[in-house]
Amino acid sequence: MTTYDAIIVGSGACGGWAALELTRKGMNVLMLEAGARIDPATDFHHKFSYELDYRGLGDPGLMRRYSGSERNYKIMIDDVENPYTTSPETTYRWGRSRCLGGRTLHWARATDRMADYEFKAASRDGYGMDWAVSYADLKPYYDRIESFVGVSGAAEGLPQFPDGLFLPPMPLNCAETIFTAACGALGWRSTVRRLSQLTRPHNGRPPCHYCGNCVNGCDVGAMFNPIAVTLPPALQTGKLEIRTDSVVARVRMNTENRAQGVTYIERGTQHAVDVDARWVILAASTLENTRLLLLSAKGGLANSSGLLGFYMMDQVGGGGVSGILPKLKGGPARLDDGKQAGITIPNFQNIDAKTRRKEFIRGYVMNATGGQTEFPQFAANVPGYGPEWKKEIKSRYVAQARIWNAGAEMLARKDNFVELDPEVKDAWGIPVLRIHFTHSDNDYKLIDDFQQKAEELFRKAGGEVMPGPVAPAGFPGGPGSPDARPAAGQRAAAQTPRRRPLGGSIHEVGTARMSVSPKDGVLNSYCQTHDIPNLYVFGGNAFPSTGDKHPTLTMMALTARGCEHLLSRTT
Amino acid sequence: MLRLAAASVALPGAVAFLSPWLDAARRDDYEPKFFDTEDFAALDAFTAILIPTDDTPGAREARCAQFIDFLLQASSTVDPTVAQQWRAAMQALRDAGFHAADAKGRAALVAAMARPERERGATHPAYFAFRLIKQQSTFAFYTSRQGLIECLEYKGNSYNAAFPACDHPEHHTL
Repeated sequence: MTTYDAIIVGSGACGGWAALELTRKGMNVLMLEAGARIDPATDFHHKFSYELDYRGLGDPGLMRRYSGSERNYKIMIDDVENPYTTSPETTYRWGRSRCLGGRTLHWARATDRMADYEFKAASRDGYGMDWAVSYADLKPYYDRIESFVGVSGAAEGLPQFPDGLFLPPMPLNCAETIFTAACGALGWRSTVRRLSQLTRPHNGRPPCHYCGNCVNGCDVGAMFNPIAVTLPPALQTGKLEIRTDSVVARVRMNTENRAQGVTYIERGTQHAVDVDARWVILAASTLENTRLLLLSAKGGLANSSGLLGFYMMDQVGGGGVSGILPKLKGGPARLDDGKQAGITIPNFQNIDAKTRRKEFIRGYVMNATGGQTEFPQFAANVPGYGPEWKKEIKSRYVAQARIWNAGAEMLARKDNFVELDPEVKDAWGIPVLRIHFTHSDNDYKLIDDFQQKAEELFRKAGGEVMPGPVAPAGFPGGPGSPDARPAAGQRAAAQTPRRRPLGGSIHEVGTARMSVSPKDGVLNSYCQTHDIPNLYVFGGNAFPSTGDKHPTLTMMALTARGCEHLLSRTT
Repeated sequence: MLRLAAASVALPGAVAFLSPWLDAARRDDYEPKFFDTEDFAALDAFTAILIPTDDTPGAREARCAQFIDFLLQASSTVDPTVAQQWRAAMQALRDAGFHAADAKGRAALVAAMARPERERGATHPAYFAFRLIKQQSTFAFYTSRQGLIECLEYKGNSYNAAFPACDHPEHHTL
């Protein structure tokens, strides 16, 4: 049997980066991906709704199994093959993908650095646990990743929203310009969304052509994902072997308390295969990583702390405002949604003593955009019919506007956890996760405050509120998003009806948090398990708190730092 | 409802079964599969009142009734509740006299059915049918080429050298 230098389980943002780092240093790496290989040339395309049989709703036989839409279901997950369960009080929906490249094939591309007010929040407000790393620890890795993948954005000099190494920012459309002016009038800082989306050629990749299909898969590789950015150069080293359709079932240990390798099951044949390596890296997404650790030993592998599976979090979703900006009503048709972006209003509360709120701790980030979208979701809600109604729809179509919650910090609580379901198994006979997940009073208060602020901004911009979806297409809660499907047997409306329904952000983190002391967590600051020296876990598992930034860049920075640590142990 | 309708075609082989019909839905010799001939004609007329042809195409050019029939035929194979809802809606139209009315009478009936949308306290026994057909017609129309491109002039889903920045000084100030 071939013994690889390293096995990487998973091919998403973290797995792809780890493959790049390790192969470039000469390691022989085997990457195992549970899903299929995706070919952008055939699987990603520009198609209008009327070119699709079901106008985007999807082939019903397939869409019964997949979340997403007719355009992007291939880069989501087969929920029938891959069930999960939830406790009765849980309304959480786990948005997933299984394919080469993972969720980065359809992600929102937000690429924000976290700040020390997030890493060290516990020291400031007394809740939870500080991270075992600081901004200074991660800054070199943020720099390295941004330089390689290409991030468009504008420097703002805000300590709570650290600047990066940016490509030129994308221009603002009319609605975003109006919202920017409104932010200025309110004394709030705003900036163009920082995105792993190229505004000029970069590292051999073309710039964005503003088609707006990002959440359906980028056909030219202008947005970051492993199949366009990290895996091609890793493959060029000749040191990377990728096996797709390989469902890892467990990590195997040797008698010296080291990971021996993994056992995976061939998706099509159900045949079990053992592979060995000197280093084992789990990068299969946060909860899948934890599932594998739970599957690999009684009581969970690397679980001397007893904390494996606990402190699950996902940035709180919910709230938002949609409507129109009368200033834009009746204007000419413009390419408003071609960049699938918007403006960001960084958190400005609870970042220091001066901005402290007594009603709640932590904060949130707002996004705003507007203008044309492909389908006028609001149209059926406009009273009337006939020629005047048609004119009204067209008039409002270009004036649409929305403010949504880009990420609100969820407090870490031990009573949010995952475990193996004692009965339900996936299509390969592997026990699935059972999720226990509720929100705290602080989470509700945070979203109530966001809603007030969002409405304040909308009014300042002169907006007219109308019922309609708040999240843009592909974002959590929006059309084509992977978070739309409930767990097997999940009950509806389990939340307290008197409170605003909260959701997730497909930013799940925690369940194997980092800690200085092995008794306080599963991983050290390098994402190496405290208990098993040749086992690393890359993803959101290490996060002791969610922060309010989109987590992917920080997951990748932790991966880069962890790989450097691993490589230092091989010499 | 649309998602329910679409998601309900879950029987093995349903898609293959429907494919020839879907092709037929795009041709002029269309024969409805969910609605009977009278109901289909009534639906077609209703959608044309809701979304008429004016200086831009309307529901007729976009073949809204055909698309609605397609979705309902698909859903009715496995989900009787969607079919029941639509049968009840068409019966409500029939009871209101829509099927038998001339063009002027139909226009008056739709106006009466639509009143509760704008007038608080107003009621009509076929209001639910109006809302159901309006929702489905809106989707069918604005996902068609006629609605999306020719009427709304949607600019996305295209290859562009640059993203057009706002060039309106008046948008930079409130």
